[in-house]
Parts: sequence; C-alpha cells; structure tokens
Amino acid sequence: MNPATLKRIGLGGITGNPIAFAVVLALMALLLAIPLTHNGYIELVFRNILMYAAMAYGWNLIGGYTGYVSFGNVAFFGIGAYCSAILATHGVDNLLLYVLLAMAVSAVFAAIVGFPVLRLKGHYFAIATLGVALAVTDIIANLDALGGTGGLALHQVDEAHFSIYYYAMWLVALGSMLGTYFIARSKLGYAFVAIRENEDAAAVLGISATRYKIVAWTIGAMMAGAAGAVFAPANGFIDPSITFAIDSNVFPIAMTILGGIGTVAGPFIGALLLAGANELLQRFFVKAHTLFFGAMIVLIVLLLPRGLVWLFGLRGGARAWLKSLSVYKA
Amino acid sequence: MSEVALRISNVGMRFGGLWALSEVSFDVERGSVLGLIGPNGSGKTTLMNVISGVYKPTAGEVTYGGKRIADVATHDVCHLGIARTFQIVKPFASLSVRENVAVGAMYGRYGAKRSTRASFERAQELLEVVGLARVAERPASDLTIPDRKRLEVAKALALDPDVLLLDEVMAGLNATEVEEALDLLRSVNARGVTLIVVEHLMKAIVSISTSIVVLAEGRKIAQGAPADVLGSPQVIEAYLGSRWVKRQEQLAVIEAERIEAARLQPPEAGA
Repeated sequence: MNPATLKRIGLGGITGNPIAFAVVLALMALLLAIPLTHNGYIELVFRNILMYAAMAYGWNLIGGYTGYVSFGNVAFFGIGAYCSAILATHGVDNLLLYVLLAMAVSAVFAAIVGFPVLRLKGHYFAIATLGVALAVTDIIANLDALGGTGGLALHQVDEAHFSIYYYAMWLVALGSMLGTYFIARSKLGYAFVAIRENEDAAAVLGISATRYKIVAWTIGAMMAGAAGAVFAPANGFIDPSITFAIDSNVFPIAMTILGGIGTVAGPFIGALLLAGANELLQRFFVKAHTLFFGAMIVLIVLLLPRGLVWLFGLRGGARAWLKSLSVYKA
Repeated sequence: MSEVALRISNVGMRFGGLWALSEVSFDVERGSVLGLIGPNGSGKTTLMNVISGVYKPTAGEVTYGGKRIADVATHDVCHLGIARTFQIVKPFASLSVRENVAVGAMYGRYGAKRSTRASFERAQELLEVVGLARVAERPASDLTIPDRKRLEVAKALALDPDVLLLDEVMAGLNATEVEEALDLLRSVNARGVTLIVVEHLMKAIVSISTSIVVLAEGRKIAQGAPADVLGSPQVIEAYLGSRWVKRQEQLAVIEAERIEAARLQPPEAGA
C-alpha cells in the first residue's frame, strides 16, 4: 500500500476523524429503525450493507491498520456461514450459538493459517491469502458432509420474526465497529500501526511483528466469521459459490479503501456508499450496472485517494482539496 | 573494578563475499561512554546492528549479562535493556511525535507494566527532556532532520535502557545543537546508562567518551583513552591516508634531528 494513501494528515488520531466517527454512530442508530418500514427489500439491502461493513472492519484491521493487504478474508466469512449450517443441520436453532461457534472456528483457523502466511510480505502475502480463500472454497465444495457444490439449506424463523436476522447483523456490525475503535486506541492499535509504518523500527521498540500480525488477522477473521454466521440462516441456503463469491472478497476491500483505510468510520461509510450505489445501479441499469460501478470506484480513488473520511478533516475547501491531489501525485 | 556490560568477542559479519566486520573484540564497561569511530564504510553501523540483534553475526558473539544477543529475537533485545537509534531515522510517519515515543514506552522494557495512559505520560516527559514537547502533536513526517534525530533518541529512551546505542544522532546539527545534544547524553549517562556513540564529529566524541574504539575496513585498529587513540599513527593513517602519515613521519624526523642538534650544541649562557 502506498504510504501516502495511509498518511493521516487531516484524518485525526489513530481512530480517525472524531466527527466522522460520531456521524457513523448516529447513522448506525438510525439503521435500527429500518425493520419498522416492514419492507423486505429495504431490510435486505441494509442487512447486506451491515454485513459488508462487518467484513470491511475485519479487513481493515489487517489491511488498513497493520498494512498487510489480504485477499483471503472471504474464507473466514465462509467458515462462519458453514458453522451455522452445520449447527442448523444438527438441530441447533440458536443465532447466538451460531455466531459464537463461527467466531471461535474462524479465529482458530486464522491463527493456524496466519502463522505461515504472515511470514510473507507485500504481493507474496496477498497471493498467499488469495490461495487460502480458493483452497477453503475447493475443500468445502468437495466435502459431501457439507453438501459439496449442492449446498445446505437452513431452517429459518417464521415471517413475523424475520427481522431478528437484521438486528443480529446490526449487532455484528456495531461490535466490529466498536471493537475496532477500542482496539485502535489500545496498545494493540499502536503495535499494528507501528508494523505498518516500519517493521524494523517496530521490532527495535520491542514489538514482535509476527505475534501482532497474527492478532490483527485473527480478530479480523472473527468479525468476518460472525457476519457469515448470521448471513447463512438469513439467506436460508448456502453453497460454495454464494458463500465465497468474488463480491464478498473484493467489496470489503474496496469499501475500506473508499471510506478511509486505517480509520474507524471508513469501512462503514464505504459499505453504505458502495453497497447502496450497487443496489441502485442494479435497479436502473440491469445489464450495465457493473460498468457504472467500476467507473465510480475509479473516480473516487482518483479524487479522494485518502478515502471519504478524509473530507471530514478537510479545511480550506476546494483549494485545499486540489492541493492535496497534487501533493499526492508528487 | 568496573563491571563489563557488553562483551564483543571476535565478531565477524559477512555480506556475500565481503567481510564488513572481522575479528572485532572489546568490552564495554557499565556506566561508561564508548565512542565508536572510523572512516565511512568501516563497519560502525554494521556493528550497531549486530549488537542490537538486527543482524546475527557470521562469526563470534556479542554477550550482554552473559546472554548471547544472537539467541535473542530482535524484538526482545530491548527487553534485556539494550536500545538503539537508527542512523537513517525511522519514525512512524503517520503517528504524532508523542505517539511515536509512546509506542516505545508501551512495548519496551517496562511496557508490560504500563497502561496506555502511563505510556503517553512517560512519552511527554521524554519529549520535554529531548526538547520536542513543542511539536508533540504534529505528525512525525512533519519533523525537520534535527528533530527526527531527537525523536530517535526519545524513542530509544522510552525503552528504559541500560545500554543505549546512538548512531550518528548529532549529524546535521549546528554547533549549539551539538552542545545541547552532548548535555543530554551526559545527563542520560549520569543516570547510569551505558552509552555507545557512533559519531563523525571528533570534538563531540572526544568530549563525551571515556574510551574510544576505532574501526577501519571492518577491523578494530585502536582502542583506549580518547587522547591516546587520536594520536595513534594507525588511526591517523586510516583517516588521512598513508602519504599524509609518511609526510608527518618525515617532519617528525626533521624535528627530532633539529632538537638533537640543539642538544649537542653547548649552551652559550646558563640555562
């Protein structure tokens, strides 16, 4: 990741701009009211936004705070989803248990895989994590016990109580957001950023890069795993192509970068904007929506290289913004 | 009798076909200030990297309190009480100056016992000591080079070291700033911290060191009290070249002959 994109000028402290964080908390409170619309479609759209937000927070810890760009976080989401499915097929019908098991299994898997994978840096790390995601997908697709490519159906609650899935996803997103906030402010957050900025200098100050990279990666895996655990019963059916979709891998990364990498507000703002825009574009341009979607991402990256959160810290209006662009390119 | 803090025995460090260090041995006494000098490329920074555990030596060993540094992970060396600064400064650019120092206080020797808040308080104290309190809130990337050097020292001090390795922390400072830096190092040393100072400024080295080790082409060529070492022909040759030494030798011979001649001539009047 280009250090300039990570520069925190105008972004506020280690948690990012405090106004942006306050705005995001207020938006989260508003989102609690979505089920009151009794509109299944709107509820689905916003539940997806919350799901992507939780995954983006998970990615932000390793990719944003620690500076290790992972393309494998979808594996944890999928593992979480399959944890729910396994419990459901054994007759367990408790959302909290689903989430707890998913977080535990994702964490153990992340710690085991992280040990070899996090010894790699830069592009090698990115490729290795992509390999992890593909391997997990293929293993699950070939396990008959997990339904193979045919997938697994999950028992859902009745129509009247369906919003429970929405509220559960809301809690997972809020937990990921607040978790990120408190981790960033703690000693852990400073270890992550020190590793991102300079691993040698961090080591001389007593920070074991291997240990804290695994911690960042494991906590991020728990966030993605929890999101997957709620997604599976909410969707009612999972198979490898739904669970390990390319969107689920790339969206959280794009959202974090667009919102503001290495900040607490960024992943949520990015999720709200990108998932929302994707939904609207799909409605109006049934065939060409991905074209507009791609163009939008390119434009935001070009015009707001530090992410949307950066706008909250911008002083001096359009002139300062233009100046920042020239500084960025220099 | 003084106690040996750090023992460097027969250290060799090879990069490909090049021995950056070979057969370097010396002891550093606890509480002393050791000046480490030598021309460019003589292996000073390499030795610093070996002592601080960044490089594992190809031959020989560095022991601290009886423990081989090579057996200790780089991130644990500071927990033994050894801290260092980098010649090429390495601030955490996106963190504020205070946060940079606080990271050291959080993860250094006594970091495990310090809360985040206590680490920030300790960082603020150290910023006042090194004269950076005025820029505590600024991003480290905004600092001037002399301030970045001060930041390096503050980060190293935040580790609460017994031995502090300073790699050219005075380079780029003006005369007043060098004096301030020397005062700072003296006060750190007065608190019982052993210093190993790499520096090109001879005046600074001579005024602060209790003893000096001279490296040239990866070998130790002299060791001793500052005045003795700087007068040694080998050291002068390493710095100024053999022709200069030959010329000086010729001049010395001429001078000796003149004195001898004067001595042989009987004094005309009572001395």
